[in-house]
Amino acid sequence: MSNHPTDFQGDVITALREAIESKIPACTAEVTGGGGHFSIVATSPEFAGKSMLESQRMVYGAISHLMRGDMAPVHAVDSLKTKTP
Amino acid sequence: MPLPEPLRKQISELVTTHRVVLFMKGNRRAPQCGFSAQVVQILDELGPAYETVDVLSSPALRDGIKEFSEWPTIPQLYVGGRFVGGCDIVREMHAGGELQKLLGVTVAEPKTPAITLSPAAAKAFEDARAEAGGDPLRLSVGPAFQYELFFGPREPGDLEVESAGIEVLVDRGSATRADGLRIDYVEGPNGGFKIDNPNEPPRVRQLSAGELATMLGEGKIELFDVRPESERAIAKIAAARALDAAGQAHLAALDRQAPIAVHCHHGVRSQAAAEHLVREGFKTVYNLKGGIDAWSLSVDPSVPRY
Repeated sequence: MSNHPTDFQGDVITALREAIESKIPACTAEVTGGGGHFSIVATSPEFAGKSMLESQRMVYGAISHLMRGDMAPVHAVDSLKTKTP
Repeated sequence: MPLPEPLRKQISELVTTHRVVLFMKGNRRAPQCGFSAQVVQILDELGPAYETVDVLSSPALRDGIKEFSEWPTIPQLYVGGRFVGGCDIVREMHAGGELQKLLGVTVAEPKTPAITLSPAAAKAFEDARAEAGGDPLRLSVGPAFQYELFFGPREPGDLEVESAGIEVLVDRGSATRADGLRIDYVEGPNGGFKIDNPNEPPRVRQLSAGELATMLGEGKIELFDVRPESERAIAKIAAARALDAAGQAHLAALDRQAPIAVHCHHGVRSQAAAEHLVREGFKTVYNLKGGIDAWSLSVDPSVPRY
């Protein structure tokens, strides 16, 4: 796992989880990883009937503020899975 | 961050001028990131003509494409002017056969591969499956023969194989590469699942000093020392043959199927030599990981370190 500099203060895993859970209705998110690389499993009834692209876009939309710029705390999402409960 | 109009226009032209466009880090010959490399491998395998755009060449483009697609990561694949997805989505669509349809490549309907599990492997899977919660066993073989063996849910398009009473699911993208594959399970410290795949091109395999000592003891392998005489004068492994004129002649006369191992001081020069032997046609070539130094540390401390 590579290391990426960031000016972000705080726990990135919690920030990711809270961003996803607050912006996608009835969503639970499991986030693992570190060093700028994270894996996310998001579960919400909102994903029902949506394509993988649409579902992943919802998650990326929720966390875009954590992925923007060279000093972003999230360098890469190594794995993103969206599920319906 | 609004996308400047000239840049929007430039991207829009790129994705409409070419039918298949991959925005990536690096280029198809030298991808600069693992995710970009995976998508390149998949596109190369399917073989449609495609354009690549190196986002590392322009910070404005790198940020711009993320805004344009409303997608925060690279790579990004466009087909017919429409955004398809990033690495995950491309991989999944490839495995399920949807990507082939989208690109209009006719891929022969993959035949269900023949896969053989040894009784030991079947038992190990049986035991592990109980702990894993009952999902079926899945096997995927990547374009560069990266193996993934795990318990996971059924996916559309899966091919089902049964061996030794165990059901194995193989995604369509892996099917051709998995045909004829055998899985064994070996107990012990160097044990685990062993995959033998006849489709895999020969490549250099790494051996620890301990594994090499065992194989030499069983008379299963010939060992060659690629170091010059000046280094051999300092330290040598008794079983290793120098690659001097006599050693070269001996090597040249060996059956290309015969297992051979090479070593040097730390394992770097011998890796290069081993890759050369593979190109020469040797099918089973091992490199001693860590070289004679590792041998001295973990097998024979009477061999001087230098």
